[in-house]
Amino acid sequence: MALKLDRREFLKSGMLSTAALVAGGSASLLLPRELSADPIPDVVIVYGNDPANMARSAVDALGGIKSFVKPGNKVFIKPNMSFARKPGSGCNTNPLVVREIARLAAEAGAAKISILDNVLNNPSDCLSMSQIPALCQDIPNTVVNHVRAERLFREVKLPQGTKMKSMQALGDALDADVLISVPVGKSHSSAGVSLSMKGMMGLVHDRVSFHSRYELHEAIVDMVTVLKPHLVVIDGTRILSTGGPGGPGKVIPLNCVVASTDMVAADAQMLALGTWYERKFEPTQVKHIKRAAERGLGRLDLGNLNVKTVKS
Amino acid sequence: MTGFQRRTQTVTFVLFLGLLLLAAYPYQDGLMADLFLRMDPLAVVGTILAAREFAVALVPGLFVLAVALVAGRLFCGHICPMGTTIDLGERVVTPKKKPASRDNSYEATTRYRNWKYIALAVILSAGVGGVSLVHLGSPLSLVTRFYGLVAWPLTLRVGELGLQGLAPVLDRFPMLASAQIAQRVSATNLFVAGLFVGIVLLASVQPRFWCRNLCPAGGLMGLFSRKPLMRRQVSDSCNGCGRCVRECPTSAILEEPAGTVHSECIVCLHCVEICPQSAVSFTWGAAPAQVSAPPSPDLTRRALVLSLGSGIVTAGLLRTGIQQPRALGRDKPLVDEDLIRPPGAVPELEFLTRCIRCGECMKACATNTLQPVWLMAGLEGIFTPAMAPRLAACAINCTVCGRVCPTGAIRDLPLIEKQHVKVGTAWIERRNCLVWEQDKKCLVCDECCPYNAVSFRSVPERKNAVPFVVGNRCTGCGWCENKCPVEGKSAIRVNIIGEVRLASGSYVEKAAEYGLVFKASDNKADRLAPDTFIQRDPHQGPALLPDSPAPPADELPPGFITK
Repeated sequence: MALKLDRREFLKSGMLSTAALVAGGSASLLLPRELSADPIPDVVIVYGNDPANMARSAVDALGGIKSFVKPGNKVFIKPNMSFARKPGSGCNTNPLVVREIARLAAEAGAAKISILDNVLNNPSDCLSMSQIPALCQDIPNTVVNHVRAERLFREVKLPQGTKMKSMQALGDALDADVLISVPVGKSHSSAGVSLSMKGMMGLVHDRVSFHSRYELHEAIVDMVTVLKPHLVVIDGTRILSTGGPGGPGKVIPLNCVVASTDMVAADAQMLALGTWYERKFEPTQVKHIKRAAERGLGRLDLGNLNVKTVKS
Repeated sequence: MTGFQRRTQTVTFVLFLGLLLLAAYPYQDGLMADLFLRMDPLAVVGTILAAREFAVALVPGLFVLAVALVAGRLFCGHICPMGTTIDLGERVVTPKKKPASRDNSYEATTRYRNWKYIALAVILSAGVGGVSLVHLGSPLSLVTRFYGLVAWPLTLRVGELGLQGLAPVLDRFPMLASAQIAQRVSATNLFVAGLFVGIVLLASVQPRFWCRNLCPAGGLMGLFSRKPLMRRQVSDSCNGCGRCVRECPTSAILEEPAGTVHSECIVCLHCVEICPQSAVSFTWGAAPAQVSAPPSPDLTRRALVLSLGSGIVTAGLLRTGIQQPRALGRDKPLVDEDLIRPPGAVPELEFLTRCIRCGECMKACATNTLQPVWLMAGLEGIFTPAMAPRLAACAINCTVCGRVCPTGAIRDLPLIEKQHVKVGTAWIERRNCLVWEQDKKCLVCDECCPYNAVSFRSVPERKNAVPFVVGNRCTGCGWCENKCPVEGKSAIRVNIIGEVRLASGSYVEKAAEYGLVFKASDNKADRLAPDTFIQRDPHQGPALLPDSPAPPADELPPGFITK
C-alpha cells in the first residue's frame, strides 16, 4: 500500500518529529543518568542467596573489576578476620565474598593480591576459623595472613588529619595500587557500627591510641584520608546486629551485598539497611560516618544518590 | 673433650634443648619435658628436705646419685647441659694452652675445691630449716632458666630480625613476606644472662671451674663417688709421662698419674683415649688403689659446722623476716597484692619450698604471662613465677605450667580442675577507669571476660553504666587487665583477693563449696589455641547487675549519637 502524504502534512510531521528529537536530545543531555543505557550507580545493593555471585554482580554493576584493577597491579583486600569466630557469627567477612573479590582481582591480572588483617585474637585461630585462607589458597599470587610484626608497618603522614597527624600503617596496604575494603556489617561497642571505614583500623599498628589519645570517630576519619579504599564491598549476607565487634550477638540475615566506590556512601547504605540493637538508625547517628561526609570524603545523603538494587 | 664424650654430650644436649622446646602448649601427653630437671640430684634432695615430702617424680635424681655410687660423676661429664655449655663456652673464652703437668694436677688445684661442699652444706641445711635455696646452686635450674628465659626469647628476636633483614629477598615470595615469629619477653633476663655468662667465663680461670669448684650438685655426687665400683685404674704399663694429668678437664688426677680423686672425676674418659701406653681404664675396682688420694672433701670440722650453721640461720632469718609467707602468729599472709601465682600453685609456703626457679613453667606458658619476680615475694621468692596480666592473660584452655613443673610446686591439673582455680580477683581501679572517672562509654572489660564476671550498673551522677566485678565469677585470669584500653596501668587489675590454693584435693569441689560459679568453654576439642574462648551467651549491650535500675528506654546503644 502506497503512503499518501501531501506536502503540508509532511512538513508538519517532520517538524514535530524534529522538535521531539531535539527536545528528547536536550533532555538527555540535561539528565544523562536517567536515560543512558547502563549508568554506573553511586551505590549498588545486590540481593541474593549466593554470596559469590552477589559479590561479582556488585562489582559488575560498578563497571566491572577491570575498571579498578589493571594487569600487573598490586591489590590489597581488607576483610574482617580479626576474631577467632566462625563465619556464621557475623564477626568476620563471609569468606565466599572475600574469595570472589580476590578471584575477580586475579582475573583482572593482579600481580599480587594481599589479604591481611592485624587480628585481635589468637592469629592462627583467627585465620583458620574465618576460613578465608582455606578458601583463597588456590587463587594465584594471593597471600592471606595476619600482620602483627612491627617491621611490616611504617609511619605515614596524614596531611588532612584534623587530630591525628601520622600513624603506623601496613606497608602492603600503602603500596597497593588498588585498595579494596571487604568488611562485614557489624555493630561495634565503641564505634556504633564497624564497616569499611572502621575496618581500616586493622591495617594500623598503634591503634590503641585511637581510643586513648584521640577521639575514636575523628581518628577513624583521619585514618581514612589516607587508607581510602578505591572499592568497597560490604558483606551483608548476615550482619552482627548486637554484641559487635567480637560477638556473640544477634545475627540477622540481610542476604545482600552493598558496594560503592564511595566508602562513606557504602557505610551509610549498610547502616540504613541494617537493624541495630532492634532499632533503625540514620547515617548521621554514627559519628565517624557523619564526620567523614562533613569533611568531604564521601556522601551520606542516600536520598540524593543513585542507588541501584539488583537481584542476583 | 674426647670423641666419646663429645658424642654423648651432643646427644644429651640436643635432647635437653628439644625437651625444653617442647615444653610448650600444646603439650604432648606422656612427654617428660622436665626430665633433666628431675635428674639433678641437688634439686631433688634439696626439695625433698625443704618440702619434707617425697614425690615419685623426684626418683630420677636419686637414681643419678645411685649411679654415682657405681660409676662416679658420669652425669657431670655426659648428661649435664650446664657441663656441656661450659665445655662449649670454654672453647670461646680460653686460649688453647695446656698447663704443665704439675699445674694441672689435683694437688696444684685444690684452692677452691671445697666451695662446692660449703655451698652444698648451706643449701641442704637451709632445706632442713625449711627454706629452699636450691635455685642458687642447682645446675639444671640455672641452665634451664638461662635457655628458657634468656636464650629462647633472644632466638625468637634474632629470627624476626633475620626476616627483617631478608625483607628485600622475601618480598619476592608473598607467603614469606608476611611471615612473622611471635616474640616473647622475660623479666630478670639480663641478670640471669649475666650470672650464667659469669659461670661460663670462670672457665678461663680453670677448665670447668663451676663443675669442679662451685657446683653443689657436683659436690653431692662427689660424696657418693669417693670410691665408685667402676673407676679409673692405671696399669703397670704407665710410664708416668703425665699427659693425662695435663689434660684432665677437672684436674682429678694426682701428680703421680696413677692416683685419682674419684669424687672430682667426671668420667669423660679422656685419659683413657689419650694414654700413649693404653695404661688407663675404667673397670670394676677390685684392685686396691696404687696411690693413696688426699681426702675429699677436705673440710675442717669448723668449716663444716659453720656452713651447716649458716644455712640453718639463713633459713631462720627468712622465716622471721617480714616478707615470709605467713608471719608467726598471723593468719593472714603479708603478701604483695600483685603476686598472682600460676593456677594450681600450692599454698605459698609450700610453693616456696618446692619451686626451684628453673623457669620451665615460664618458658612453657602459652601466653607469656608467667614471669620471674624480683623481690615481690621477698628475697626467698626471687625468680619464682607470677602472672603479669597487663602483659598477657592466662589462657583458659591451657594447663601447661603445671604439666612441666618438675617438683609439683604447680600441680599438674586436668583442664576442668584448672578452670576452677581462682588465682585472684579483678578489681576496678576507679580512678583509672574511663567510665568511672571520665564518664566515657567503654565496655572492654565486660566484652573480653571469658567468665562473664564483669557487669554494669547505673549509678547516680554517671551518664553511662559503670563496671563492677562479680567476685564469685572471676577466676583472676587477667583478660580484663590485659585488654583495658587505658594507657599505663590497667583500670581493672587482678589482685590476690580471694585466691584459692590447694595442696591437694579438688578445685572443682572447693569452688562449689565457696559458691564460685566459673563457666568457661572448653575449646580443646576444636583444636584451637588455648587463649581462644567462645562465649556462649550473647551480649545484649552491657550486662546489668540484678539490683541495677534499668537504663532509660530511650538510651542509645553504644557508639551511636542522636540525630
